[in-house]
Amino acid sequence: MSFLTMVVIGDNRRRAAAQNERNRFGLVFYFALSVSMVVFSLYGAQASVFQKARATVLDFFEPVLAVFAGPAHWVNARAADAQEFLRLHDELERLRSENQDLRQYQDEVRSLRRQLSYFTDVNETHMPPAAHYIDARVIGESAGPYNRSLVLSAGAKDQVQEGHAVIDESGLLGYVSVVGERAARVVPLTDSTSRIPVVLLSPNGDGAEVAQALLTGRSAGAPVLDVFSRHLEAPVVEGQEIVTSGAGGMMPRGIPIGEISAVRDGKVTVRLDANTTTPNFVRVVDFRFATDLDGAKEGALGGQDGP
Amino acid sequence: MGRNLAALRQILRLSAPAIALLVSVLLTIAPLQIGLLGLIVPMPVLPLIIVFLYAVYDPSGLAPAVTFSIGVIHDLLYGGAIGPWASVYIAIQFLVYSQREYLRGRVFHVIWLAFALALLVAAPLFWLERSMLAERFLSVWPLFSQFGATVLFYPAVAWGFFSLRDRAAAEVPAV
Repeated sequence: MSFLTMVVIGDNRRRAAAQNERNRFGLVFYFALSVSMVVFSLYGAQASVFQKARATVLDFFEPVLAVFAGPAHWVNARAADAQEFLRLHDELERLRSENQDLRQYQDEVRSLRRQLSYFTDVNETHMPPAAHYIDARVIGESAGPYNRSLVLSAGAKDQVQEGHAVIDESGLLGYVSVVGERAARVVPLTDSTSRIPVVLLSPNGDGAEVAQALLTGRSAGAPVLDVFSRHLEAPVVEGQEIVTSGAGGMMPRGIPIGEISAVRDGKVTVRLDANTTTPNFVRVVDFRFATDLDGAKEGALGGQDGP
Repeated sequence: MGRNLAALRQILRLSAPAIALLVSVLLTIAPLQIGLLGLIVPMPVLPLIIVFLYAVYDPSGLAPAVTFSIGVIHDLLYGGAIGPWASVYIAIQFLVYSQREYLRGRVFHVIWLAFALALLVAAPLFWLERSMLAERFLSVWPLFSQFGATVLFYPAVAWGFFSLRDRAAAEVPAV
């Protein structure tokens, strides 16, 4: 090995060592910075500057996320098709049984509608204002180990606001947590930060409300229900339906959520009606209490513009 | 014209690691959730693989400032507190840099095992930060299932990484 080659190798090693040292210093600095940001988030995660930053980043990446969403939904649909094919027979039996139940419900609903219409006329009841619906597509889904949220293709320009309920064709999916100009973030009911005030309905299926409760999401598994009423007339049983209570003022009362799937050791878990696994098209429920409106129009949730 | 094209190629080559990391973050946000028997299959955290691969095979490719910035973007897109993903990225880069002499020239399986160990060290950091933010001790299973899926997915991303690197190397004219 010539002297010149040795000098070049030595020089390269020195440069690499210096670069390594700079990188190490940079890493320690940025690690300290990121940890201090976590600590700061502990006291101000919902601070307006963070919310603004989240909304800005959502808006900035919205076009890219919309492009990625197309193939992702296609893959999801094919995966769902494959699973449906494997349980076709069971699905057919389930649909037959469900169809029978639905026919019975249909007759009951017709009868109840007639009664409601009659009593409304008699009492001159002022119905709550009709909700306005905003259609959107799920273009993003951050599924980390502890948090799960969806990104919608609608934002402030479409009248979406923080706290609005988000539903799919079957029931409540979650609520809006961050609103950008063209995109919004939704916290699904399954997320560990989700807390929704709900009402537990009677197991008789007569629609009577038996207790107020709070639906809490978990990072893994189905959401759980904390029933407030200490003196329930009857114990909570599987199959009891739950709907939104409307407490808080951003969600209309009575949006279907799901039913009790299990009651074990005092823990009540809920099977959700909405498809929280692979949601695609959803609706944001723009609802305001009548007290917030001047000259509120008469109507009801799920009227002509309903889900 | 030719000079401009060469300059553009050079810029693309230099920014390729940052672009790869950013695209992997956006892919993580894509609504690709596979449901199986009513459960959600944990999706791999692709950016962790990209950070690790560049730290091992192209240490100057991802500057700490770039890794940190894209980590913050991941946190903002993720919707939670700002910092946890950024700190995990940086921690993995630091772990690899501190073991670079050992990792240099090792066979694929050893590097794969090193990746699993790096995630095993980074996981408690992420868990601690998230638990601190949630003000309670969170379950470790969601984290381990997702990091486990990431370790299993490593060879696929590594294959893509090596293919692109070989292609880029073949395009560089011999001096």
